[in-house]
This record gives sequence, C-alpha cells and structure tokens, in this order.
Amino acid sequence: MTIGRRTLAVLLGLTLLFSFGLAWSSQRQIQRVNILMPAPFADATAELVQDFNREHRGRIALRVTRGPRDTEAISDLAISSLLLGRPPFDALLMDVTWLAKYAAAGWLEPLDPFFDSEAVDSLVEGARLGNHYDGVLYRWPLIADVGLLYWRRDLMDAPPRTPDQLSGIGRRLIDDGAVNSAFVWQGRQYEGLSCDFVEMLSAFGGSWLNPQTGEPSLNSSEAIEAVAWMRSLIRDGISPKAVTNYSESESLQAFKAGDAALMRNWPYAWAELQKSDSAVRGQVGVTLMVHEEGHQPAATLGSWGLSLLKGSDHPQAVIEAIRYLTSPEAQRQRFRNQGYTPTDRSLFRDPEMLELSPILPDLEQALTHAVPRPPTPLYAQLSDVLQRQLSGVLTNDLAIDQAMNKAQINSMTILESAGGAA
Amino acid sequence: MTWLLLMPAALLMALVFGWPMLRYAWLSFHADSVLTGLVPVANGGANWLRLLADDRFWQDVLQTGRFALVSVTAELFLALLIALLLDQRWRGRGAVRALTLLPWALPTTMMALGWRWIFNTPYGPLEAVTASFGLGPLNLMASPQWTWLATVVTDVWKTTPFITLILLAGLQTIPADLFEAFRLEGGRSMQALREITLPLLLPYILLSLLFRLAQAFGVFDLIQVLTGGGPAGSTESLALYAYLNAMRFLDFGYSATVMLGGFVLLSLSILLGALALRLSGALRPLQS
Repeated sequence: MTIGRRTLAVLLGLTLLFSFGLAWSSQRQIQRVNILMPAPFADATAELVQDFNREHRGRIALRVTRGPRDTEAISDLAISSLLLGRPPFDALLMDVTWLAKYAAAGWLEPLDPFFDSEAVDSLVEGARLGNHYDGVLYRWPLIADVGLLYWRRDLMDAPPRTPDQLSGIGRRLIDDGAVNSAFVWQGRQYEGLSCDFVEMLSAFGGSWLNPQTGEPSLNSSEAIEAVAWMRSLIRDGISPKAVTNYSESESLQAFKAGDAALMRNWPYAWAELQKSDSAVRGQVGVTLMVHEEGHQPAATLGSWGLSLLKGSDHPQAVIEAIRYLTSPEAQRQRFRNQGYTPTDRSLFRDPEMLELSPILPDLEQALTHAVPRPPTPLYAQLSDVLQRQLSGVLTNDLAIDQAMNKAQINSMTILESAGGAA
Repeated sequence: MTWLLLMPAALLMALVFGWPMLRYAWLSFHADSVLTGLVPVANGGANWLRLLADDRFWQDVLQTGRFALVSVTAELFLALLIALLLDQRWRGRGAVRALTLLPWALPTTMMALGWRWIFNTPYGPLEAVTASFGLGPLNLMASPQWTWLATVVTDVWKTTPFITLILLAGLQTIPADLFEAFRLEGGRSMQALREITLPLLLPYILLSLLFRLAQAFGVFDLIQVLTGGGPAGSTESLALYAYLNAMRFLDFGYSATVMLGGFVLLSLSILLGALALRLSGALRPLQS
C-alpha cells in the first residue's frame, strides 16, 4: 500500500515535470518578435501582422507595439528604452533623421548580410537614400516620403515653377478674392521648418552642407536669398502671418478648407484631401517645389524604415518579419488602404496602382529629386540652431544676414566641439 | 533617538534625491554624448565653461524666471480672491468649489493642446472673439514678444486652483471668534482682511509660493506642447533645453550641467529671497 502510494506520487511528479518541460520547450520554439512603430503605422500593418502570424504559426510570433503618433515622442520612448539597456523591442520603425544618431550610438545591427544589392536596386531612387551610415546599411525602408507642392487645379491652369511665378499667382488670387492666403507651409519653430528650408534653399541653388567640404554653408548668398524669399512671402501677404506657427496639420487644415491655393506638405496629405469633408476634393494636383531657372528642384527626404536593434535574441526571425512587412504585396496593401507611398520601383508602373492614384507618376518624379537632410549624428543640434534663427527672421524681424551668420557659427561650433569633449 | 527615527526618511531622501544629484554633478564633469559612444569621459570643467558662455542658457534662465514670477504672482492674487469667495457661505458653494479644481485635475498635456487650439490663428476661438470686435488677426503665437504671455495665461488657468486649495485650507484654520471680536471693537471688514486674514494666512501663502515657484521654474510639458519653445526660442524653458540636450542631442554631460546650473541659480535666488524676508521682518508672525 505504501509502495503503491509512493509510486503514484513519483508517477504524478514525473507527469507534471514532463508536461512542464513540454510546455517550456514549445514556448522556446516560438520566437517572439516585437517591433515598435508610431500608432498610424502600427494600425496600417495590423492586418499584415495577422497574416504573418498565421503563416508562421508555431515558429514566430510577431507583435507590433503601438507607440505615440508624434515623431519626437516616439523617438523619446525608443531612446529611453535603449538607454536602459536590453530594450523590449527587436526592431524599430525609424524616421530618416534618427539613423545617424542611433547608428553612432551603437544601437543598430548592420543589415548588409540580409539585403543584397539586387534588393537595393529594386527600390525606387528616393527610397535608396537615408538608409546608410558610414557606408553600412542600417535601415530597410517601409514607406517612401518626400516633400511636395500641392496646387489647386480649379484656381490655376498650371502650377508655378519659379519663386516669382508663385508670388505672382498668389498675389493675383488674393487680389481677386479667390482665397484668403495663397501659399501655406510649415513656419513653426520645429523640424518641419528645416524640411521646408531645404527645398527653398535648393530652389536658389544652395545646400545646407557644402557638397565639397561637408561644412555648413548657411550664410551663403543662396541661403540668404532663400530666406529673404521666405520672409517676403509673409511680408507681402502671399502666406498668412500665422504660417509662422503652422506645422503640417495646420497647413493641411487651411488648404483642405479651401482657404489656400498652394501648400507644401508630404504625400499623406493627398488621401486626406480626397475625403468627403474636404472642400478641395478632386481639385488638387501635386508637383515639385518651385525653383529658380537653372537650378534643380528639391524634395526633402522624409521616409520611415525598419531597423534591427542590437541584442535581439533571434535576428533571423526579425529579418523575416521585416521582409514580410516591406514586401511589394504589403506596400500595395498599405497604398490601397492608407495611401502610404511604396518603395518598390515596379509598383510605380503597376496598372492597378496607377488606377488607385493618379498622382503616382508625380510621386515617382518627386522621389528622383529627393534631398536628405545632413546625415550626421549631430543633425538634431544642427537643425535646432537653424530653426531658431529662421523662426527669428520670420517672426522677429532679425536681419537675415546676421541671423544666418549666427546659424552658421553655431553650426560650426556644434560640429567642432559637440559633446564637450576636451 | 530623534536621529534613529529620522533615519528611514533620510535614507529615502538620499536615495531618490541625493544620489541623482551626485550623479548629475559627476556627469557634469564628463563628456557623455553620442560622440563618445555614450561612455562618460572626464573633460574637466569644459561643460561648465561652455555653460557660462552659452547665451542660450542665460536667455532661458531669464525666460524661465520671467514665466515663473509673472505666472505665480498672477496665480497668487487670483487664488486669494477665489479662496476668499469660496470661504464665504453661499448657496451652491460646494459645486463651485469642485468645479474650481477641475483645471488642476486635467493632465497638463491635454489642456496645453486645448489652449494651443484656443490660440490658433485663424481658426481658434480667441481669434473669433477678437474678430467679433472688428479686430484683425492677433497671431499671438507667432510673436516672440507676446507668445510667452500665452504660456503664462495657460499656466495661470491650470494652477490657480492649486494655490486656491492651499489658501482655502488656511482660511478655515482662522477661528471665527477673532472676526467677531474685531467687529465688536468696531473694525471694518477691509481692515479685518489686512489685520487678521492676511497675517494668519501668510504661512500658507509662503508655502504655496515655494511649491509653485519651484514647479514653475522647472516647467516643461506645458511649454513643450503649447509652443515647443518657439517662436525664435522665445518661450524655451531651462527644463526644455536640458531635455533637448539629453533626449534629442544625446549629450548627457551637457544636459546634466544645464540642469544643475538651473538648480544652483534657483537655490541661490530662494536663499536670497528668504534672507530678504527674514531681514525685512515680514516673517515675524510665523515665529509667534
């Protein structure tokens, strides 16, 4: 009797141990992948994540964490978790301006072993930019994104091509009483102002960093001309004074309400303008930012891409998820449902895609003029001092040459002595 | 025995306050940024020299000081008025008391977003009001001279209830027979306010001033959401500058220096203020 009881206990114990072991080992086989994305992107990929998990059942469990919507807010979240070490995320959806900083901080894993040159060649021109730091691939693009000039087809036959034409058309439309303000853009002291500046600077033949020396050239005659034009837009009433506090959403609001004839914004605005509550639905075209004759137009490179974080337990599974979420089929779905610009070259010629959106050829053209912002780990500082001076010129009547000289000097100081290294 | 009983509290303070401060102090003598691979490298007093020569830091000190002084002063006067009103007996007082607290209970970021919309040109309600008086667009948020007032208004709206609450609590500790005796002696009610209410309320006023000044000097979320520090950096606060250095620029050494620099200046001004108060004898009622 005693023996029987003991045997029973041992058997029971063994069974328990065995079942725990089984549960544990099956737990081990499933590789959990967690990707942090801003909420809109997380929502846009929800369906794809479900499909992925169905296809990889028992092997990989993919989860997308919904982060804050605002670019800076999600960067803060990501950085906080990275600073604490061993972040709960395997991959991150990254804005183009973060890349150099994150790579220099040593948070990212190179992606070169996973994506060959053939894969890179399949990308549309603008989507190939902004993924490398020091020649190493750290980010695989999820969506392409560049700055565009939106124009009202019902108010003009063709969009303006030069700064003078833009001012002229704007003046005429305001004098005719067709719109309250002609041209809305992003003049608030924040990253959007730097983006607009890159395009307007290029319009006059300038560039943020001198392409020969790699040093800032913010006090060049081209830069001063560009800033003078930006200020004249406000002084001459072509742009409302309030534009100096506009971000993308305020610009879109004014344009969508039919209060403006031209708008500088990103491709996402197109889908918004086609909604039923839009006063300009079906009357909008997109083109490149105006530029002086003889100079190249520029479209500031935006774009989001996926990066593999150092310390992920199973990089292969993460890469599998990245490939899935960036596949042409996934791009097609995101374009259809949310209007996110694809990155695969062939999709821009795809009949079904063209039918979905008449502006696809314009987007492709704009992408060939994509200009990245300075790809340095110190970009946030450079942009910050530039925004400060630009905002001063636009709102505070600072002398343009003085302000741009100050931006130049501050930028040089940052590059020479950032971090306070002795 | 006293010391033994104080030990747990002292330990806790050392842990949550002393240790971070020491750590900041240590960090402020190191370069710790994205350029050093986020590894602290001793750099002598380079950060502090940079701070002294950084006109942006000094501009932010002035801007933060201006914000703190103006908004706390306005809050104090408003709160005193409201507290005196709420201390009287009248119908519906309970409901109004609860309502007064509402702004304080709202999360700062939410209400800052709301105010950003109120100040919006041309669609915000404020512009609609001024337009109905036949005035052109205000563009309050696009003017480096005036935008800081918008931050003050928002802060006053948000934190007046906090001071009201403290002052109201103070008012209720004043025995009613004091007023009665005063009236019997033939005193008028304005006199009673000056000779009884205000002196007895002084400790509460000082307490709320101390709380609020320290809090306003460290203002971050309200500014970040309402203006982002703009236009032209005219509303940037010290905390926002320190945050930018740490989270955007990944320059932790300098961020710690900015934070400590602000702390030192604040402590100095509070010390000087306290000294001046003591010398002027305004604190005498507290010592009795």
